[in-house]
Amino acid sequence: MIKQVAPAVEVTALRRVFAGGKGLRKRGPEHVALDGVDLVVDAGEVHGLLGPNGAGKTTLCKILSTVLLPSGGMAKVLGHDVVTHTAQVRTSMGIVFGGERGLYGRLTARQNLKFWGALHGLHGKQLRTRVDALLDRVGLRDRADDRVEAFSRGMKQRVHLARGMVGDPALLLLDEPTTGMDPVAAKDFRALVGELRAERRTVLITTHDMVEAEQVCDRVSLIDSGRILATESPNALSEWITRFERVDALVPPELVSRLRTLPGVGSVSTSDDGRTRFETTEEGVAAQLVRSLVEAGVTTVTTSKPSLEEVYLHVFGGNGMAVRR
Amino acid sequence: MRTLLIGCWYQLLVLRRSPADLMALFVVPVNTTVFLAIMQHADRPDLAGHAVLAPGLMALWAISLVTCGELIDAERWGGTLEALVAVPARMLPLLTGRIVVVVTASLFAFVESYFVALVFFDVSISVPHLGVFVVSMLATGLAMACWAGVMASVFVLARSARIFQNALGFPFFVLGGVIVPVSYLPDWLRPLTNVVFLSWSSDLLRDALNPAPVQDFGFRLLVLLLLALAGGGLGAYLLSAVLRRVRSLGTLTYA
Repeated sequence: MIKQVAPAVEVTALRRVFAGGKGLRKRGPEHVALDGVDLVVDAGEVHGLLGPNGAGKTTLCKILSTVLLPSGGMAKVLGHDVVTHTAQVRTSMGIVFGGERGLYGRLTARQNLKFWGALHGLHGKQLRTRVDALLDRVGLRDRADDRVEAFSRGMKQRVHLARGMVGDPALLLLDEPTTGMDPVAAKDFRALVGELRAERRTVLITTHDMVEAEQVCDRVSLIDSGRILATESPNALSEWITRFERVDALVPPELVSRLRTLPGVGSVSTSDDGRTRFETTEEGVAAQLVRSLVEAGVTTVTTSKPSLEEVYLHVFGGNGMAVRR
Repeated sequence: MRTLLIGCWYQLLVLRRSPADLMALFVVPVNTTVFLAIMQHADRPDLAGHAVLAPGLMALWAISLVTCGELIDAERWGGTLEALVAVPARMLPLLTGRIVVVVTASLFAFVESYFVALVFFDVSISVPHLGVFVVSMLATGLAMACWAGVMASVFVLARSARIFQNALGFPFFVLGGVIVPVSYLPDWLRPLTNVVFLSWSSDLLRDALNPAPVQDFGFRLLVLLLLALAGGGLGAYLLSAVLRRVRSLGTLTYA
């Protein structure tokens, strides 16, 4: 069981600006990746960072893991400044960068973990025991002595996870950890995060997967253009955007026109199958809408609350495929 | 010390899985054959030692230039440099351990060239000054390891280190007196050759194969060791500076 003093992560007015252009002088326009980020992650919390590509999620993780220096502001991990006390930060933190790279393909999974474990100060029986336990934990025991280059993307991601945990960190930074995993492996991963929470480890996880964020995170921070837009529980965040229910029903066109004018009814859209969705903007309007529909003889009515995915699309939906500079 | 040993262990694993990293060792028999054929054609058996030492020194330099020079950059391309920086272990001893293994393996080139001479040319190289030879060889390996650290750090700054690696081969064979003793070179090159450790190494090793007494061995060895020390110090400084620079610029990875 890990004992931590709160907060595990403390970020204040953190800025990171990348110089633009090429060459040593880099005279191109600057790119602001983090623009005054404030964030607190409590000890033992599983915290999600949710945002589109280029939002600043990975930059924040890199600064917290000491591999990138901030341009301004302050960041502390378990009370240690990431710029001035890198040794203490590195001892207490594990990081999992997503993607195919970041492992030694020509070495086996076991050799990879032994190498990284040794760099965390483990040796001898302790190292062997830790590596075996982790291989078990991520379901790679039977492939432990196969070269990593022969692994699928999902299996590589499991090795990444094991590598992040090999130092027995109090804080684990997971940057897109389920990228490439199949649904079964992703489900196992969520169970693993649950175990980490039970061990009172702090987990900061960046993800695009809304289901994952809803299922594993205690709190979620929405980040875009280098700024934290909101930090809430997944449920609270859902209510934060479209605080109220929406109503779906098979409604005659003339009735749609009438209901559209009701106070508190926001957008109204009709899908190809004739189902109309009323988005409400005030509390209690959904109930009023249902009553009006039933009185008009409409019996196929459903109400629902937005998922975190819809919240995400609400906030970032305008971006499309664009990646911010 | 433990991190250095981890570096050694890791590099041994890598070399076992990737023998092409020591490609220059496969070329040593060819180079030895060329030099010995020239020696025989010129009817200069007194140059046999030169012909056998040159391919070894060339391989030592080439492997250090390419394999050691790419040690950090390869980590960056592989996406592992960030994770290496984020661990508690220090990079310098880890890199040193890896370099030590590569340089030690590359010393096998001298054994290769010796046996090529013996087997294919019936030329047996005797070592009249065995002590001088062994000490000079060890000092050469040390100096090579130290300067390999410099190259590993410097090449991180280059977007394409391969261009520099290709360019730095032959000039150092010349300035290092690897193929031709530096005493044969124009005088104006002396200031340059004097600061290239290979020039002291190659002269000492050649003298160790010559029956004549080795002149000023202590002084020449001291210079070689001082140049090694300078390389080691410069390498350590550059590694620290380069890592800080790439952490600052955000170029620890190419992703």
